[in-house]
Amino acid sequence: MTDRVERLVNLTATLLDTRRPLSLEELAERLEPAYPTEKSARRRAFERDKETLRDLGVPVTVETVDGLGGEPGYRIRPDDYYLPDLGLTADERAALHVAITAVRLVGGAGREGLRKLGGFEGTAAVPLAELEATPALPDLFDAVTKRRVVSFEYRGEPRRLEPYGVVHRFGHWYVVGRDQERQAPRAFRVDRIEGAPAYGDAAAFVSPPDVDPAEYLRADPLTYGDEQPVQAQVLVDASRAAWVVDELGEAVVTERRADGAVVVELSVVNRSAFRTWVLGLLEHAEVLAPEELRRDVVEWLRGLTGVAR
Amino acid sequence: MLALVPWILTHPGVTIPELAARFEIDAREIERDLELLPMCGLPPYTADRLIDVWVADDGAVSLRLAEYFERPLRLTPAEGIALVAAGHALLAVPGADREGPLASALDKVEDALGARGGVAVDVGDARDLAQLQEAVAARQQLEIEYYSFARDEMTTRVVDPARVFHAFGEWYLAAYCHSAQADRLFRVDRIRSVRATGEVVEAPSVPAGTDGDLGELVYQPQPDDLRVTLRLEPDAAWVAENLPTESVTPRARGRVDVVLPVSALGFLERLVLGLGPAVEVLAPPEAREVVAAAAARVLSRYEPGR
Repeated sequence: MTDRVERLVNLTATLLDTRRPLSLEELAERLEPAYPTEKSARRRAFERDKETLRDLGVPVTVETVDGLGGEPGYRIRPDDYYLPDLGLTADERAALHVAITAVRLVGGAGREGLRKLGGFEGTAAVPLAELEATPALPDLFDAVTKRRVVSFEYRGEPRRLEPYGVVHRFGHWYVVGRDQERQAPRAFRVDRIEGAPAYGDAAAFVSPPDVDPAEYLRADPLTYGDEQPVQAQVLVDASRAAWVVDELGEAVVTERRADGAVVVELSVVNRSAFRTWVLGLLEHAEVLAPEELRRDVVEWLRGLTGVAR
Repeated sequence: MLALVPWILTHPGVTIPELAARFEIDAREIERDLELLPMCGLPPYTADRLIDVWVADDGAVSLRLAEYFERPLRLTPAEGIALVAAGHALLAVPGADREGPLASALDKVEDALGARGGVAVDVGDARDLAQLQEAVAARQQLEIEYYSFARDEMTTRVVDPARVFHAFGEWYLAAYCHSAQADRLFRVDRIRSVRATGEVVEAPSVPAGTDGDLGELVYQPQPDDLRVTLRLEPDAAWVAENLPTESVTPRARGRVDVVLPVSALGFLERLVLGLGPAVEVLAPPEAREVVAAAAARVLSRYEPGR
């Protein structure tokens, strides 16, 4: 086990030191402790080492070089490897320490990151917030910083997105940017991306200047989506009226009835989010208009009243 | 291990206990790693091309010829997003100092990653959040008006606040409730009003804790809660991750069966009605009936007298 750690450190140093890419044969000649002599065992051992280094964030590049007779050559470009000197003060490091102990990105690597920035200065905070994380998030974040086009399946359709940012709102992460086919801004919930996204080359597009990713998600979860917005009217009973008005604001109220019920008007694009919201109020709310949304809710409920399935 | 090298090189004389504290790594592990370093370096691994480590009598550590590790390794995307998201989230909490060291640290980290303007975090703005946080800090007892969805009523309670936190996209107040004579969790957005009673609370009965999953604090299933078995279509499989299920069993064609402890039937009704055809209530029979009855009740608003 320690042999392998030694070899990994030496491999890293050698790949950093070299001025030109080195073939596996050249690396095997130089490294100690040595790789196995048998070719396929040696290739397997090296591939494992390369994967381990990549998992640690060490950017091993592979290049085909004429002088190596078509064999791939490996090295680490110093600019890719090193963190530029951030010039963090002790106060700033302490503030980051507080941030990553107060706010935890579930499954995140905040502690490792802070170690690379010089360790845990100051005192930890009591945990204050936990943010959901999904496996695709770090790679999507990388695509944002490196400007890679992301391709993925979403609600059964293939999408191609120029990602401008990732946004956390309503307890979920969204990737936002420009949909290349629709030539329009879009937001996608990261945990609803089907399968694994594919990433293109870096620097593939130019982000608009001063883009605010939060703008791409309008304040209301009911209003992001592809369909044309419709204006819905919902009657809410007195028992829930105060809550709905608290939640949505006075501006949505179009009518106040004598019995305390209110009629609110909402701009709906995401029909299923709207339906979930209305049904969350159970029998204390009723969709008055438009007819298509009212019918949608009725069909949905009819499907649920048949208990035997 | 390599993360320590740049620090040692720029802070000659640092001791192993100091390194252990700063990087939160066990001192013995650091010693083992330092023993390893002298065998590392560049080919041909002669004395002049190996890393030199020595630990002086007073415990001070020195390194020579490790210039390849002088500067830290760049941040991985997972590390980057964790740092940036945490920074933005904390700056979004009421009372945060948006001009202070966290903001400037975040700018520097984002610049290094090329992530300026690439991340936004909104943790919601529950109305009385700042007041609740102050009450926790000052140990003030509170009287709150709280809307219980499960019981469909407004209640007034006297509580000893212990902790305010954010999990699953919502803000919660953990407090000892004098009416219930037990620890309770209140969703901050269901608190209609807050008033300090003037009393000071002794010490929080809900442990503040420094580790552990905040998510686990949110719902503690009781032994006599109803256990409902749901079959989820692939569309609704996200429920398995977002709710405190007791078991998750994958089935054919991407479906998944979950057992969910339910303390309030209203919750089950809202959940199943919201998911519609993407969920089937398998058991117990009374749960199926409750859901069907709820759907019928709502439907009767649209089709009265049917």
